[in-house]
Amino acid sequence: MEKIDDKYDFSLYEYHNLLQQNILVSYKGPIDERIMNVIGENIELVTNDGNDKAKSKIFKIFMELAQNVWLYSAESLSTASGRKLGMGTLVIGEFGDAYTFVTGNVVRNTDIEPVIEKCEIINSLDRDSLREYRREQRRLAGTKKNSGNIGLIQVALTAESPLDIELTPVSDEESFFSIAVKIKKTGR
Amino acid sequence: MELEDIVIEGSHKNFFTPSVNFNAKTGICELSGESFLEDTQEFYKPLIDWLEEYTTKIKKPIAFLIKLTYFNTSTSRCILDLLNVLKDYEDDGGDVTVNWHYDENDSDMEEDIEDYMIDTGLNINIIPF
Repeated sequence: MEKIDDKYDFSLYEYHNLLQQNILVSYKGPIDERIMNVIGENIELVTNDGNDKAKSKIFKIFMELAQNVWLYSAESLSTASGRKLGMGTLVIGEFGDAYTFVTGNVVRNTDIEPVIEKCEIINSLDRDSLREYRREQRRLAGTKKNSGNIGLIQVALTAESPLDIELTPVSDEESFFSIAVKIKKTGR
Repeated sequence: MELEDIVIEGSHKNFFTPSVNFNAKTGICELSGESFLEDTQEFYKPLIDWLEEYTTKIKKPIAFLIKLTYFNTSTSRCILDLLNVLKDYEDDGGDVTVNWHYDENDSDMEEDIEDYMIDTGLNINIIPF
């Protein structure tokens, strides 16, 4: 069989090996409700090692963070019918007594500043203050279209862990933004 | 003028549609299943309007039953709107009962219901199953 000269500039074997290391599910590409449905079912299948609580927590976190990628990624595809599908990456790993859930996508630097501020506020609050913050944001949500902020508070409350955020510049205008959370297999 | 019942059969497809059964004769209104919708506002607006109509024109007792096992954060705002209509009715002297059933293993849900009580000032009966 003829070889393809310029197939990839990386080794698929190395990529595969990298994913073998504690990674249960990984996805890169456009996200919409159909893709969320498939990944959601996958998550159900692969998180059998934890208890039902952990499984349900991962599912809820996945639903919020995947919707954020879908709606707010700076990289997107448009379907024939004109729908916008945000592009991003999503990885679920298993490390000992916890699952790690990470999503990442390209963002415009000007859009991400307020989100980072929100994450920092969230990480500075204890559980009771976080609940109060959620109540406040929920009351305000009617006046704003963007409900992504409650989503992040919800993620931190569900995970019972801080939002581990990382911002890597990719150009003058854009960065790659990722959020990682840890979910204990034996939570509350 | 008669207020028509709202009956919606829930489904779990790509989006999750909750089951709705709002009965104008009995005053029993039930919202159950899962809620993750393409257009959350569009789905909940008629439910909020229905409750407003019932509580301002029919003015009979109302029993509101929530049995949602999952709802996303955009739904969470619409639930607040529904409960606020009930609170207004109660403040006007209306007879309101709210029963919120949740999975006893879901302590996050229990906390959330407590937060809705704080936020609305409504008494919500929190019932584990």
